[in-house]
Amino acid sequence: MDKQLLAMLVCPLCKGKLKYDKDAQELLCTFDGLAFPIQDGVPVMLEGEARRMSVEEKMERSETAAPAADAE
Amino acid sequence: MSVEKTTHFGYKTVATEEKQAMVADVFHSVAAKYDLMNDLMSFGVHRLWKRVTIDMSGVRPGNRVLDLAGGTGDLTRQFSKIVGPTGKVILADINSSMLNVGRDRLTDQGYVGNIEYVQANAEALPFEDNSFDVITIAFGLRNVTDKDAALRSMTRCLKPGGRLLVLEFSKPTNPLMSKAYDLYSFTALPFMGKLVANDSESYKYLAESIRMHPDQETLKGMMEEAGLTRCTYHNMTSGVVALHRGIKP
Repeated sequence: MDKQLLAMLVCPLCKGKLKYDKDAQELLCTFDGLAFPIQDGVPVMLEGEARRMSVEEKMERSETAAPAADAE
Repeated sequence: MSVEKTTHFGYKTVATEEKQAMVADVFHSVAAKYDLMNDLMSFGVHRLWKRVTIDMSGVRPGNRVLDLAGGTGDLTRQFSKIVGPTGKVILADINSSMLNVGRDRLTDQGYVGNIEYVQANAEALPFEDNSFDVITIAFGLRNVTDKDAALRSMTRCLKPGGRLLVLEFSKPTNPLMSKAYDLYSFTALPFMGKLVANDSESYKYLAESIRMHPDQETLKGMMEEAGLTRCTYHNMTSGVVALHRGIKP
């Protein structure tokens, strides 16, 4: 994922910052509990295509994952 | 009693939440033959319309550009050349088929480095406020379900002083042209669609959706309502197509 693009992307719902999960290739909005997939390097920023996180995952993720803009 | 919200899908009235999926089917169906059909349907003139759009955008080296509903990448290709290595062009489309065709084509032609691809809905753009110097939407706005929401979302993502350019089919200004255009688009277009893309229904939708799209003055008013200033439009090919431009204050 391009660093500059990563820094520009926000959640399409709340416009909040996203967290980049490099291993899972997902962009996470812990506020809305949505994981947007990155398919072949293309972020799919559609609510209907996003994976819904469980409450536990939401809690855990909001503490651990690094903010997207600071990720490698 | 519940009242279902409805919208237009061509001349048909459909539930608001259904339109997006129906438009998606049209573009999944036509993606592969989209550029060929554009050349045939417009006699190649769509290239000129897009050229004027680039000129009117005032794009400069180093700029950030969002080519929304950018489909197969015609505008992105030109923007990429102009913004250069210090700029960035984001090609965004709601439709994965259109985006894939665009990415493959641009990559094959060697356009890499300053282009990124994002699948996004114009009504809910996934970008920070004040991100872009230029946003274009060419032949895309009429397929968007909530056009006012899309115009507001685009305005939000523009930098102050940034320009929104909407290139779209519009209302012919000349009655003779209007007659000829009606005849052409409701008989010749679906026939060509059938012949070339084996899909007359999709091209019938395109012709109908053009007639349902707001005319020049209405769209200008919608852009002003969304918060843009100095909104103007230029008719091209006797108003078959209009290029609207607005500036974020």
